[in-house]
Amino acid sequence: MRAVAGRRSSRVAINAAAIAVIVFSVFPVFWMVSTALKTNEDIFTTDIVLVPTSVTWAHFREIFTEGIGNTSLWIYLRNSTVVALGAVLFGSAAALLGATAVARFRFRFRASFLIMLLIVQMVPHEALLIPLFVMARQAGLTNRLLGLVIINVAFTLPFAIWMLRTFVAAVPRELEEAAEIDGASRFRTFVSILFPLVAPGLVATSIFSFITVWNEFIFAFTLMADESGYTMPVALRWFIAREGIDWGGVMATSTVMTIPVIIFFLFVQRRMVSGLVAGAVKG
Amino acid sequence: MSAPPVVDGRAGGAAAPARSTTPTAVERLKRRIPLLPALVLTIVLTQVPLLGTVYYSFHSRNLLRGDAIEFVWFANYADILGDEHFRTAVLNTVVLTASTVTLSIALGVALAVLLDKAFLGRSVVRTLLITPFLVMPAVAALLWKHAMFDPVYGLLNWFLSLVGVGPIDWISELPMFSIVLMMTWQWTPFMMLIVLAGLQSQSPEVLEAAKVDGARAFATFRRITLPHLRRFIELGILLGSIFIVQTFDAIFLITQGGPGQATMNLPYFIYQRTFRAFEVGESAAAGVIVVAGTIVIAIFALRVILNLFREEG
Repeated sequence: MRAVAGRRSSRVAINAAAIAVIVFSVFPVFWMVSTALKTNEDIFTTDIVLVPTSVTWAHFREIFTEGIGNTSLWIYLRNSTVVALGAVLFGSAAALLGATAVARFRFRFRASFLIMLLIVQMVPHEALLIPLFVMARQAGLTNRLLGLVIINVAFTLPFAIWMLRTFVAAVPRELEEAAEIDGASRFRTFVSILFPLVAPGLVATSIFSFITVWNEFIFAFTLMADESGYTMPVALRWFIAREGIDWGGVMATSTVMTIPVIIFFLFVQRRMVSGLVAGAVKG
Repeated sequence: MSAPPVVDGRAGGAAAPARSTTPTAVERLKRRIPLLPALVLTIVLTQVPLLGTVYYSFHSRNLLRGDAIEFVWFANYADILGDEHFRTAVLNTVVLTASTVTLSIALGVALAVLLDKAFLGRSVVRTLLITPFLVMPAVAALLWKHAMFDPVYGLLNWFLSLVGVGPIDWISELPMFSIVLMMTWQWTPFMMLIVLAGLQSQSPEVLEAAKVDGARAFATFRRITLPHLRRFIELGILLGSIFIVQTFDAIFLITQGGPGQATMNLPYFIYQRTFRAFEVGESAAAGVIVVAGTIVIAIFALRVILNLFREEG
């Protein structure tokens, strides 16, 4: 009896801790959405207003109808989408092939290659900014979304290859060898054995890359000269003026910015379930 | 770190000489060529900016003075290493990174193991737990500054007031702790996702076999899952450290490196050199020093790079 009671109380403790962690995780985001829906009276009071006393869509209406600065919100959204999707698609394809090469084949300088990749990721972006800008200008890539895509691929690729390499290495080589003995071509083995098992890794990697690129500020800000080329994070700057922060605007824009990320996450996370992996191997 | 003489990797050296699959040179090339463009592209894209930074680190260049770029040997490095603020920044970066990584990997593994079990509303909980990572870091920093840390109407003080602890001015009294708290909040989902993906990439056959053999759940976890997870945990620590060393938004928006130099970390230091002092050469040199330092830490503290040579044959 006592054992059962003990187990039950430890279960309650775990659940309580889990709920506390969830509240802690979600609260700032909740605050973001709730502030976006507050009237300015609710925002600029010293009381804690958790839920808006009267919900207003004014902040959202303002950014959608009047745009941010002199440019429509849709332009910023379009720029962000082009850059993020371009970098993720381009980067994931290169990363999958690169990671397979690094995990499966031995070649001279393989270890040096991996270490060099990591080194690039270690350089603080603030230090790279000027050299990158000069080089982008020489290549004629400043003020073009393509330039931003390329720079973002450069900064997400090392990380993606390192992550995927681990996933490829975790697939037992015997599975591939068995398929090859059964007469499957190298390509076939890649597609039907390796790929399904690495898929969760590919999903996780593309989530990280997407988020990194979507939120990237400093390169987008330096590389793009015209407001019509700005991405969402750069647009956000408009609300932070010298005389104070327009909280309603910041929070409404941030909410709008976060929604595509959540949609992207929900869309790809279903592919992370183990069932898919299990099915693919057995089938 | 010289690599051992290259034998054919697939066959595992002498371990499997009996099999007649030792590929010929042509076959091996055929296998590898499709992957070559990705490698070349990666090298070009990632190494060029780095070379540019190394180049600038040996030159004197101030954006305010329009004078010519001049090769100055190691003068920039000497200036940086002699700068007292730089040394403070190094120390702060180490403290910030080590604390954040430790906390977030511990929490991340715990959450991932919980989330790997089936329960009602799992995908909702998973998404909720991920949200901190989905918010733009700059916005997250603003939210923490105003919704969590604010001494008057922040959530943290409200929680503390429930248990009768007086209001704390988090940002000025506990600046480093506040930043670590916020960064842990932001990075736990990252660790959790890597470990979760690792859990789900376990070959189900192995787990089933363990079950058939009558292994208890805990034994299975300790003997099979944990060793399998090890490399994912190491990966999380390694990549997490690299990103957290780069923390900028939180410092810039919450503390501005202060009070005094209490939370001045390396990226913020470099930012100040570049955009306040306009010393491009010095900030490039600082960047190169950061890289060198990070490599040393990575080799000694994590051994991940060394493992690379050992475990994949």
